[in-house]
Amino acid sequence: MVTLNVNGRTFEVDATPDTPLLWALRDDLKLKGTRFGCGAGMCGACTVHIDGQATFSCQMTIGDAEGSEITTIEGLSADGTHVVQQAWITEQVPQCGYCQSGQIMRAAALLAHNPQPSRQEIVDEMSANLCRCGTYTRIIRAIERAAQEG
Amino acid sequence: MTMQTINATRRDFLKGSGALSFALLATGGVAVLPSAAEAQPLPDGKVNAWVTITPDNRVTIMFGSAEMGQGVSTSLPMIVAEELDADWSMVASQQVSTDPEGVYGNPMAGGILFAAGSSSIEGYFTYLRQAGAQARQILIQIAAAHWAVPAEEVTTRSGTLHHDPSGSSMTYGEVAALPEPAWPSGEMADATLKPRTDWTIIGTDVERLDIPAKTTGATEYSIDVDLPNMVHAALLLPPVEGEIPTLTSDTAARAIDGVVDVIVMDHAVAVLARNFPAALAGRDALDVSWTETSPYRHANSEDELIALSGAVDDMSADAVVWESRGDGQVDFTGANVFTGNYTTEHVYHAQMEPLNAVASVDADGMGAEIWLGTQSQTASIMIAAAVLGTTPDRIRFHAMQMGGAFGRRTVFAREQMRDALLLSRASGRPVKVVWTREDDVKNGWLRPATVHRLDAVLDAEGCPTALRHRVASPSIFQFAMPDRWNPETRLDLLVMEGAESSDYAFGTFQAEHVLVPRQSRLSAWRGIGWAPNCFARECFLDELAERTGSDPVSYRRRLLAGSPRALAVLDAAVEMSDFGNAPEGRAHGLAFAGYKKTLATGVAEVSYEDGQLRVHRFWTAIDPGIVIHPQAYRAQVEGGILFGLSSVLRERSTFSGGRIDQSNFYDYEPIRISEIPEMEVQFVDSGEPPSGGGEIGVPMTAPAIANAVRKLTGAAQRHLPFPGRA
Ligand code: FES
Ligand code: FES
Repeated sequence: MVTLNVNGRTFEVDATPDTPLLWALRDDLKLKGTRFGCGAGMCGACTVHIDGQATFSCQMTIGDAEGSEITTIEGLSADGTHVVQQAWITEQVPQCGYCQSGQIMRAAALLAHNPQPSRQEIVDEMSANLCRCGTYTRIIRAIERAAQEG
Repeated sequence: MTMQTINATRRDFLKGSGALSFALLATGGVAVLPSAAEAQPLPDGKVNAWVTITPDNRVTIMFGSAEMGQGVSTSLPMIVAEELDADWSMVASQQVSTDPEGVYGNPMAGGILFAAGSSSIEGYFTYLRQAGAQARQILIQIAAAHWAVPAEEVTTRSGTLHHDPSGSSMTYGEVAALPEPAWPSGEMADATLKPRTDWTIIGTDVERLDIPAKTTGATEYSIDVDLPNMVHAALLLPPVEGEIPTLTSDTAARAIDGVVDVIVMDHAVAVLARNFPAALAGRDALDVSWTETSPYRHANSEDELIALSGAVDDMSADAVVWESRGDGQVDFTGANVFTGNYTTEHVYHAQMEPLNAVASVDADGMGAEIWLGTQSQTASIMIAAAVLGTTPDRIRFHAMQMGGAFGRRTVFAREQMRDALLLSRASGRPVKVVWTREDDVKNGWLRPATVHRLDAVLDAEGCPTALRHRVASPSIFQFAMPDRWNPETRLDLLVMEGAESSDYAFGTFQAEHVLVPRQSRLSAWRGIGWAPNCFARECFLDELAERTGSDPVSYRRRLLAGSPRALAVLDAAVEMSDFGNAPEGRAHGLAFAGYKKTLATGVAEVSYEDGQLRVHRFWTAIDPGIVIHPQAYRAQVEGGILFGLSSVLRERSTFSGGRIDQSNFYDYEPIRISEIPEMEVQFVDSGEPPSGGGEIGVPMTAPAIANAVRKLTGAAQRHLPFPGRA
């Protein structure tokens, strides 16, 4: 039994401590917005916040996540109105959408730490996340918009 | 046109409630559904309610092509809403999962549910316009009857019906609230289409309907489906295609907490578990040996490239003629002949959602409920029925949004669904099969390697009087769609399309396919045959232009003189990029490359910085005919350009001993955000019917970049990916 603090709530998860956080979120807590892309820390589809830091949830065990505040895409805002989510809609970023929870979580963490990132800082930070559909140009635009409007 | 006129009274109107639904009919007509309750339900419990209007003015429109990011869940309903004259702000859309009546299929794909080859908008455009107009005409008939006025005097404006002489008006929602006897029972078989000048929805950038859910994580892909009592399956797949497993021991696997069962299949060993990590751990703990009889255990991608190069140069090799124009007898051995060989290596789709499927087989084993992301619902249902030895009506199918597809989820590739069905039948429980990224990479159905040989006979001015484009490659079609492969003609459009170069006047022209036996599993990849074929041709033409002291633009202008649409996109791209005037240290390269009826020219601006190729900017002018949703179209083009650039930089699948060498995104790494150029997309409006946008970004990109690099460095680039870059 591992206790996880996710999106401001406490959950008891009946799994071994070496279970990757990604699968506990998806299959035990049914928070499906966090996606499985590679399981290898190479794509960022599984990005969540651990104490405010963008983290690959496939690379962290629930044992290590215990005691931290975990935020998933479902907890970023109550109603989808986080400034990054709004900018994502205005710039019409998603195509297939599969990578986008991770992109949004990474962008939100970036802006929380660096409210006015330069273009180079945006590119450097977002390089951790792949988007096979090729929405990169719009991701940059949406982050710049969110920085302005945030 | 046959419509009943029914007088409805105000009293009836007040009694009314519920929804007004229209059905698409196999005749091509449209009719009002008597009521959702009375209508014959489909096997999945739904009725064929193509458009449903509710009293709150909401309009729900069903769409046939599956959504994989290309935006059809918005653009197809836009076409309907335009002719229906609906208020777009009230429109919602819903995916069609099954089509037993055969009314939702893509007219360009033989009427089946099928989304591939950029065919959705092109295929459905006229069909949906007509149907939308017919539904609007029925609304007019109902209102005219209700007001007891001639139908000719009733007009519509954005979800409202008007009778201007009397000043009457009512919303579509109010029509839906009329009691059912007011609804005509006849079929509306024709109606007048709006002229383009009256369009208010087509051609606008309405917010895509699928996007809000994609910003909150709410979009459900098949990998997200959860069912009571469901188990998760991880499959130990053959290291080499076709090998058969023998299970030596599953004791360790079964000892793992959460593992429910181990099932030996013909082609794999499956571990079923309460959660996916346990299934993976169980798989790791299996002790399995494999037959060593597969002919593919000697397959080697380096050997294949050598074989392809040999075949393309061997003029005695049997070649299938794909296209022939002019006088076929040309001597390609003279002094005025110029030859170039070009190679593209295998590439993998790398859609972000690893392949997966969920199935729950009925107790009698002869029916199932299935959740799948697929580019063809129709084909998937047929395959599912065949797997269970049952009839399609026993398959209750849910077409899920796809986390990317790019050709990997077309009619051919349905191994996960088959396995989920077999495992669910064997275990008596719902099963979710998920491939890991490693499974997905190592069991890829690749775009085949191709080697191209182009020969041109040049006249005194360096222009081709004859040109031959030979392609050596295995057949995608023969492998992926064996039941539709014609062994007599052996025409493989998935490899050869684009090689016909139909906009160019080359004098005598021939395109031919030298078929070489496959060494890997194969499928189409975004851009299909056009990407490799246009790469070879556009690089070759640039080299010819240079050799004859001509510039790439005027050289192509001469050859394209017979195609005004081609010249228009060429000139537009030249102008928007200020072609040839690259900043110091950079160079421009250009390529003219279409995809079917869509024509485009791309210009790349490149440099080498610290020995690194960098594409700084990419411009394209495109004539796709009418554009339904310009913003979504641009998104498709940008995505296509990045696919093309990624194939230049490093995308390459290799195999040795029948095993794909790459494993995950660390050794098969698609392009990242730090590597993208600035992109500019401009439309050239020819007013032609729409002709699709999913592929068009890909074919022009690699040759434009290669031509720019040659200009900058003097070295011809004839290989994808560029050498030394993988
Ligand atoms: S799934 Fe975690 S980085 Fe790809
Ligand atoms: S939107 Fe499809 S992978 Fe990013």
